[in-house]
Amino acid sequence: MTTDASSSPDHSPAEPLVSRGFWQETWLRFRRRRLAMSALYFVCFLGLVALFSPCIAGTKPVVCQYKGNLYFPALGYWNRAWENPIFRKDRFRNRYPKNLAAKDPDSWAVWPLVYQDPYRRVRDDEWDGQPGNPTGADGRPNRHNWFGTDQSGVDVFAQMVHGTRIALLVGFVSMGIAAAIGVVVGALAGFLGGWVDVLLSRLIELVMCIPSLVLILSLIAIIEEVTIWHLMAVIGVTSWTGIARLTRAEFLKLKRMEFVTAAQALGASKFRIMFRHILRNALAPILVPITFGIAAAILVESGLSFLGFGAPPPNPSWGTLLNSGRVMIQQTWWLILFPGLAIFLTVLAYNLIGEGLQEATDPRLRKAEK
Amino acid sequence: MQLGKPTRTTLALIAWLALLGTACSSKQSKTERPDGQASSEDPLAETSEDEVLLEPYAAPTLETLDAQAEWVDQDVLDSMELLRERQQQEGLPSIAVAKALAMRNTSTESNRDMRLALGRLPENDSQVDYNAALTRHLAVDVKSTNPLMASSAAEFEVNSLTSFGLFGFDWKFRPFASTATVVSWQKSKDGMIDKVVMRDDLVWSDGQPITAHDIVFSFQTIMNPKVPVPAVRQGTDQLRWVEAYDDHTVVFFHREALATNTWNINFPIIPKHIYEKSIADDPTLQNSDYHVQQENHPISGGPYKIVRRERGQTVLLERREDFYLHQGKPVRPKPHFKTIRFRVVTDSNTALLALKKGDLEETQLNAEQWTAQTNDDEFYKRNTKISDTEWVSYHFCWNCKSVFFSDRRVRQAMSHAFDHEELLKKLCYDLYEPCTGTFHRQSWMYPKQNVPQPYHQDLDKAEDLLAQAGWEDSNGDGILDKQVAGRRQDFRFTILCGQTPRSIKICTLLKESLDQIGIICSVKPTEFTVLQQVSRDHKFHATFGGWGTGADPSTSKNIFATGENRNYGQYSNRRVDDLFYQGEREFDRDKRAEIYGQIHNQLWEDQPYTWLFYRNAFYGFNKRLRGYNFSPRGPYSYSPGFDAIWVPAAN
Repeated sequence: MTTDASSSPDHSPAEPLVSRGFWQETWLRFRRRRLAMSALYFVCFLGLVALFSPCIAGTKPVVCQYKGNLYFPALGYWNRAWENPIFRKDRFRNRYPKNLAAKDPDSWAVWPLVYQDPYRRVRDDEWDGQPGNPTGADGRPNRHNWFGTDQSGVDVFAQMVHGTRIALLVGFVSMGIAAAIGVVVGALAGFLGGWVDVLLSRLIELVMCIPSLVLILSLIAIIEEVTIWHLMAVIGVTSWTGIARLTRAEFLKLKRMEFVTAAQALGASKFRIMFRHILRNALAPILVPITFGIAAAILVESGLSFLGFGAPPPNPSWGTLLNSGRVMIQQTWWLILFPGLAIFLTVLAYNLIGEGLQEATDPRLRKAEK
Repeated sequence: MQLGKPTRTTLALIAWLALLGTACSSKQSKTERPDGQASSEDPLAETSEDEVLLEPYAAPTLETLDAQAEWVDQDVLDSMELLRERQQQEGLPSIAVAKALAMRNTSTESNRDMRLALGRLPENDSQVDYNAALTRHLAVDVKSTNPLMASSAAEFEVNSLTSFGLFGFDWKFRPFASTATVVSWQKSKDGMIDKVVMRDDLVWSDGQPITAHDIVFSFQTIMNPKVPVPAVRQGTDQLRWVEAYDDHTVVFFHREALATNTWNINFPIIPKHIYEKSIADDPTLQNSDYHVQQENHPISGGPYKIVRRERGQTVLLERREDFYLHQGKPVRPKPHFKTIRFRVVTDSNTALLALKKGDLEETQLNAEQWTAQTNDDEFYKRNTKISDTEWVSYHFCWNCKSVFFSDRRVRQAMSHAFDHEELLKKLCYDLYEPCTGTFHRQSWMYPKQNVPQPYHQDLDKAEDLLAQAGWEDSNGDGILDKQVAGRRQDFRFTILCGQTPRSIKICTLLKESLDQIGIICSVKPTEFTVLQQVSRDHKFHATFGGWGTGADPSTSKNIFATGENRNYGQYSNRRVDDLFYQGEREFDRDKRAEIYGQIHNQLWEDQPYTWLFYRNAFYGFNKRLRGYNFSPRGPYSYSPGFDAIWVPAAN
């Protein structure tokens, strides 16, 4: 009689082997790619910077106690209405440090890490020991302005920190719109087929022919008050065609699979089959163009701002900073270097993530890698 | 030889400086431009084709005129001689040319010394290199080479060298007839008639003589409602009639004896023999094949002719030998350059790089360039830079009919709220002076009493004035509001500006200033032609812009008098209207100065504009150039202006 050496003396039952799901498997493979993971960390870091931008650079307290109440004036950077009007009533004039002390000696405040504003120049008498920001070619990087200032004396670091919000928002919102449209159109075309497919495929081809930049420029001329949301919407509604075509192809392929037949046999509705059963299986390859699309959207927004067609001023976008550097390109290198680097790294990061996703989800690439 | 140049003097226009750099109208009128971009004025847009602008007039015979008019001789002068006399009176410059060229322009004193030394005229012809070729800068392309169609600074600049004119004005805006084209100029004692006898040695570039009939034809063309002349009708339309009594005698009949009549007789001249037959077929003067050909190869009456024109790139002029020579003999001063090439460079940074490289030999510099980009060896290797006072002012224009700015106290509050010091010291690098109203403080019409004081930021006062006008934060949302027609109206408005960085920065500073007192201001950079149209239609709350100066204060009438076509802000004040009326009818200069001084003060009180700063002239010149002198309209738009610039002969 032989005894299995591996069998445990207490005769506990062996753990059943749990097979990893598709997403788990993808994540595992994605994690093995150092570049892609670094890019993901970088994007997460940007997300944190964007989220906490008013706490990193600003001239409004993150939190303060004033006349016995707690306030969060830095929220005004997100939305002007969120900055309590008491400070306007009390004629703070957006100058908090001295006014807080003067108007309520018992007040206290937690300040952002860097006392600089993304929308205006910090003046001489605002913060003890900190001189006013230099302007023009004198605004090179220094102790108070880590990335220098632009020609008007507005701090570049503060603009870049707050510009992160714009860069990420543009990427996510516009591609969110594009993904929503693309997935729905592609799914309908691929699953329903027939005249719906013919019609939607022609629509896709039609939209592909519209140059988004020209459309954006035309809309800017028409819209009375252009905001960053308009730009995101236009980028979104013109960038969904690639996603739609890929979705259509995936749906064409997957709708012949047994699990779809099974779902049909069980009496699932078309909508349920499309978006409950097929879509989750088709999603992985669709994520790839979405990721690349985010990078492209950031580039488009930066390009528009660089050309002066971005959101209305003051607009602390990276592209706007690049544009302001163009005026004195030989003197103000910091206006080109830092925002240029930020755009480059962010776009690179999204592309690396997209590539990583592609490799992690595409079995053919996986084999090639081995 | 001040043909062309600012010789054309109709009173009219003002070009709006807002967005692109520098534009100026030909005439003595004010100039408008959006920071360097071409302005395309269209005062005739509302003129219907059936409208008759000119009623027939039975002009009296010349004998009758001579018997009745009691002629008073007017000045017929050589502008170069005028400048020479001025330089003689000034005495020799304190430094030599070589030293001026070696110096760097770092202070007011060095600027003055360099300007005086390098602005000297040649002592004699042997000093001048008449074979010199010059490359000049155009910030925008020339859309038309027809002087009647000129509307942008670029077009006026080119036309000033190629077109024919009878009159000019000097750096003090004193009008005179030019010796280059006029034998005599007389005015009737009652001021209703001007008689000019032209020289008989004038020819167009195709060899045809320039006669008094060309003057009459040009006048009638300008007054032809079917011809869409963009900018030159205003002022000319004050004339009752123009009559040619022979080939050289032309008489201008005025509708009324006005102090401004002298300016109204100066309008662009086109060759009758070229356009006489074609104008009926194509009153636009631009669309037919024949007129397109004329556009590309125009007949010139001035010292230079256009020999090549590449749209958007270059306009090449060549000196006309038949301009200064008549039957082989010199009859006028020889123009200083053999060829002049205008290069179109729309981006000011590219223009500066081209200047440094020697591809351009003159360009206007902006404040950033003057302060930071023209101090190194690379710039001074080939160039030097000169600055002087220029009567160009910038402002915020408030729409006085809008719900926000109809109350004078609100407009005053805007002026109190704006951070003028930040603007002047930081955005304008301390290069500009604060502007205190529509007339320049050095001008003769500037008020001598109750001199306006510049505004300084006073947010408390601004808030108090707004409260008096009913704007308060009634609902505690941090934004001022007011009950208007039973509804709560938040104080949110949009300011339109040009697309240049400076315009945007200045408007952003306004936004920052107003945000502090609970006013939401959105900045909307707008393309120039759209901005113009919106301004003309009064469809705006506020705009940022600027005006160059007119040669006569009456040019401000069409900006501030009720219902005038450039009164974009729809400002209206009966007293101001009356004073403009009086000013045109007052011939005594001191009394006129008093009248316009009152207008100035009334406007300052009413603040239809928040006046911001005077922008001086800043120019970069190649070191081989000499003879540049400045007027309140810059170095070119006066007599002699460009004619005085020369290049020294090799030795």
